[in-house]
Amino acid sequence: MKKLITISALILTLVLTLTLAGCSSKTSSASDEIQKIKDRGTLKVGVKVDVPKFGYKDPATGKISGFEIDIAKAIAKKILGDENKVEFQAVTAKTRGPLLDSGEIDMVAATFTITEERKKSYNFSDSYFTDGVGLLVKKASGFKSFKDLDGKTIGVAQSATTKKALQAEADKQGLKIKFSEFASYPEIKTALTSGRVDCFSVDGAILAGYLDDNTTILSDKFSPQEYGIASKKTNTALAKAINDTITELRNSGDLQKLVEKWGLK
Amino acid sequence: MNGPFALFKWQALFTDWTVFAKGFLTTLLVSVIALLLALVLGILFGIFSTSKIKVLEAVSRVYVEFIQNTPLLIQVFFLYNGLPHLGVVLPVMLIGILALGIYHGAYIAEVVRAGINSINKGQLEAALSQGFTYWEAMRYIVIPQAVKIVLPPMTNQAVNLIKNTSVLSIIAGGDLMYQTDSWSSANLYYGPAYVVTGLLYLALCLPLATAARNFERKASQVPESDSEDKKLTYEEDAIA
Repeated sequence: MKKLITISALILTLVLTLTLAGCSSKTSSASDEIQKIKDRGTLKVGVKVDVPKFGYKDPATGKISGFEIDIAKAIAKKILGDENKVEFQAVTAKTRGPLLDSGEIDMVAATFTITEERKKSYNFSDSYFTDGVGLLVKKASGFKSFKDLDGKTIGVAQSATTKKALQAEADKQGLKIKFSEFASYPEIKTALTSGRVDCFSVDGAILAGYLDDNTTILSDKFSPQEYGIASKKTNTALAKAINDTITELRNSGDLQKLVEKWGLK
Repeated sequence: MNGPFALFKWQALFTDWTVFAKGFLTTLLVSVIALLLALVLGILFGIFSTSKIKVLEAVSRVYVEFIQNTPLLIQVFFLYNGLPHLGVVLPVMLIGILALGIYHGAYIAEVVRAGINSINKGQLEAALSQGFTYWEAMRYIVIPQAVKIVLPPMTNQAVNLIKNTSVLSIIAGGDLMYQTDSWSSANLYYGPAYVVTGLLYLALCLPLATAARNFERKASQVPESDSEDKKLTYEEDAIA
């Protein structure tokens, strides 16, 4: 019993230390942070590697390309003057937050939907892309609209805002739906193929990358999701540089060109 | 006031405590039933593998080797995404119980086999010479001694089983790990989420691990002629 108390006390101390360390995270001056990137010579960006058209690593060539990759390059050009001075790191929904906090990466451009909750932890740029939640089903299932999914299970991605959006829509239409959450998109696709879930639902543009001969995307689209580029909360100078780049891209029409280049929408 | 462990993230966690409670209960339920299944399978196949009947021995060998030498993750994934292609769709919770029960059953079978084998053969022979049948000798002479040896490694298996329920999170199992992933990846308050989840697993496992250590101490205190052999056997088990 004594041992148990000792162990509990130790754990409590650890947790408290972590919490306090988290609270007192030092706020080094913002321009230093930009300087750090300049000194390093590369901008470290967390991107998706499993989302065709946004951030996708071609298994044959090993090259990462996509809409968000191009945006990241534009930001690198703005800060470092060279669009190739950028280092990509694959992130998932689960790793992108911790990687930002630890400083392992400077920013995240990975189909990151802006929410009020998330804004408390990170700086988000203005939205560079808006997309609705789409529904991918097997042709053989015969589902024609969201209504047909009453009582069915829908596969969504962890960290995606899809679940909330669909639940709200289901409540509005008086439907009952269940959710299964998975860590990655390929896992949801596998679950759809094996019949574990009746519908694969994420943001429409992402969904398009998973369309094949046996599946179809329903015409229903819900609640616009706005993608933003996230950076560390304390690093306001970087957040401003990112946001300026996005604004410039939008005003010059380059953002629209990129959207067309990647065949989005 | 920011960072992974900021105060408002802890507050959010305590507001949503039911999410974690739900996961904790699922983990507990799956653990308990899977453990019962693992015990039944383990004892059965453990006895099989020490029996004189060659077929039973072979069946037990195949079971143990096949299960021990493939990752639990693949077994779970097969039950979840493979079986439906053969027309069998099991509920996720049942998959958890089956996969964990079968997986740890194989380990417990080895523990039981080692326990029975650690009892000096002379004891069985002596019992047989006194007119006991094979099963009577097992029941009254061998197994009561084997139990003491088997208990510590068996408890360790129970601890491992509880921790392994976390693989259910990849098949949307609704267990504690799944709920934590789900909650923390939506709002990105991962700091407190994983600390609390770790503590919840600790709360389940630590008492068992402590019990295992007590069993071990008791077993090593028994003064017997063959205590030297015994000690060796279960120490090997503990390592394995």
